[in-house]
Order: sequence, then C-alpha cells, then structure tokens
Amino acid sequence: MKRLPVITVSLLLLFGICTGVTEFHAQTAPPPAKKVSAIQVLMIQSEEVKLPAEFQVSLYENLIQQLQKQGGFEHVYRDGDHSATGDVVILHSTVRGFQKGSEMARQVTTVSGKTSIDVHCQFTDRDGATVLEHDLNGKVRFLGGNLRATLDFAKKAAKLARDNFAVKSGS
Amino acid sequence: MRVPSNKVTIGFLFLLFSPLTLPSFAQQPADAVNVVQVMGFADVKPNAKGSLKLENGNLQFSNSKAKTGVAISSLDDVITGNDSQRVFRGTFGTLTLLAPYGGGRFLSLFRAKLDTLTIRYRDAGGGLHGAIFTMAVGKADPFKKLLVAQGARTSIPVQDDSNSAAPKPDAAKEQKP
Repeated sequence: MKRLPVITVSLLLLFGICTGVTEFHAQTAPPPAKKVSAIQVLMIQSEEVKLPAEFQVSLYENLIQQLQKQGGFEHVYRDGDHSATGDVVILHSTVRGFQKGSEMARQVTTVSGKTSIDVHCQFTDRDGATVLEHDLNGKVRFLGGNLRATLDFAKKAAKLARDNFAVKSGS
Repeated sequence: MRVPSNKVTIGFLFLLFSPLTLPSFAQQPADAVNVVQVMGFADVKPNAKGSLKLENGNLQFSNSKAKTGVAISSLDDVITGNDSQRVFRGTFGTLTLLAPYGGGRFLSLFRAKLDTLTIRYRDAGGGLHGAIFTMAVGKADPFKKLLVAQGARTSIPVQDDSNSAAPKPDAAKEQKP
C-alpha cells in the first residue's frame, strides 16, 4: 500500500509526458497542403551536378507524362506556358546527385552498374512561397537502359504531387 | 560426316550477323537521317523508328504511322552526345537473358555505339518541350550543323560539341560527377 502514491505519481507523469509529446507533434506537423487543380512543371535544374542533356530532358518529359497519366490534376502545364494561370502549384526540381551506371555492367554482372539520380523537389505557390519540399531518387538496378532511372523518379514525383495537391488524389 | 556447302555456310553467317549491319547503309537524302525517337514528340510512340529531315524550315520526323515536326526557329537548344545499346535487343534480346550457361550475359557484351541528339523547343503557347533521338555514329554532329545553319540555337558551339575533354559551361553537358 505504501507504493500506491508512487505508482499514482508515476502514472500521472507518464500521462503528462504523452500528452505533451502529442501536442508537440501537433504543433510541428506541417499544415495540410492546399489542393489545386493544376500543376506547372519547370525544367529540371542541375547547377551543382553536371547532367547529360538527354537525362535532363528525359526527367522533364517523363515527369509531365506521369503527372498526366496518374491523374488528379485538370491541367499539367509546361515550363513557360502562358496559359498557366489561376490555382496552380509550381514544381521546381534540382538534381543533387547523379551516378551514370552502365547497362552492360548491369546485364553482365547483375550487381554493379546502377544508375541513380537524386532530385530535390520543391513545390511553390504562384507567389513563390514553398509549400512542400522533398528529396526523391530515381534508379535502375537490373533491366533497362540508363534513362529508365528518370522514369522511376518521375513516377515517385507524380505520386508525391498527386497525394499532396491533387483535388482527385485517388488513382 | 557431311560438310555443309560454302553457300549454306555463307548464308548462315549472313543471317547470324545481320543485326550488326549498320542502318546508315540505307539510301537516304543528305539532310535526312534514320533515327529512333526515344521520347518527346507527342504524336509519336516512344522508341519509334523513322526518318528525321529538314523540310521547309521544319524539323520533320516521319515514319509509316506518323508525321510530325517543329519549326527550326522554335528550337531553343540542340545538343549531341553518344551512347551505346545492345546489338541483340527487343523481344529476342530479352529471351537471350534466359540462355543457359551465361549465354545471355555473353551476348550483352556485344554493343553498338550510337549518337544522341537532344533538342529543346517551345510550342505556340510558350511551353517548353524536349525530344531525344538516337542515330548511327557520326550522324548527329553534321545534322546539328545543318540545324544551326538554318536558325536553331545551341548552348554548345558546334565545333566544341564533340570535344569532351574541354570544360563546358552549360549545365546540360555530359560529364560524370
């Protein structure tokens, strides 16, 4: 019976800590992104990393194709499109890492020759305010050419955009 | 044991090595090249084979199923590069991966070099597009010169384009990190 106050105090402290942690998480969690009907994709930037032109174009085109394919947005605008007005979120992509592997090495050895691209994705509103930032990776390990890594990235980026911004977020 | 005749042997060897025959041997006009459109043109399927030529101020891609093009004056950038691909590819190439005793891996060693041509252009609404073509080795640089001569813009001067040892100022250059 002497232990009862100790147990009670311990339980109270534990409850208090749990409540505090929950409130802390509630305060620091990012607010839910605003749903929009359109997205504009800007050309992939690669100032830090020298990226071959075909990879840059392939990233951009695959990204647009996947955004159109996965749905959720009424309009997918290209870089420089004059008709990109109204409720639109803008996707800026910057390549942070690039490892050009070898298709031959992949097919001959299976374990080497991986191609990998690391891209920092930043979603902004029309005023330039950042609404979401995320690092994504595209890679090809086994089958396919080196450009297939760009398709892998595009699928992930399109899913990220759809889940966070698309009005119709279900696929 | 019966020895096969020379005609049979030559015919067999011809069939065996026919995929190695370069497509550049085909007859075509000087300003047209046989290409594979990897991606980019909206009306053309990815990896479609066809012919790329300059016609009336347009860069025209055509094959039996589609004919599309862009105005050369709308080309923002033309960049050449090089790559390689398996000689045995497609469905047959995939089947070779199942060959026993590492036969598929051995066949993967046979690769054909090719040139790449990457273009960036703008549509009527200002939207930026990109397209990638592959073609036989040695075809991309002359074709780029033709494009630049007719008004296409490029971020890499034509004479420096093939010099991979020189530092290149633009971000869209081929270089390993």
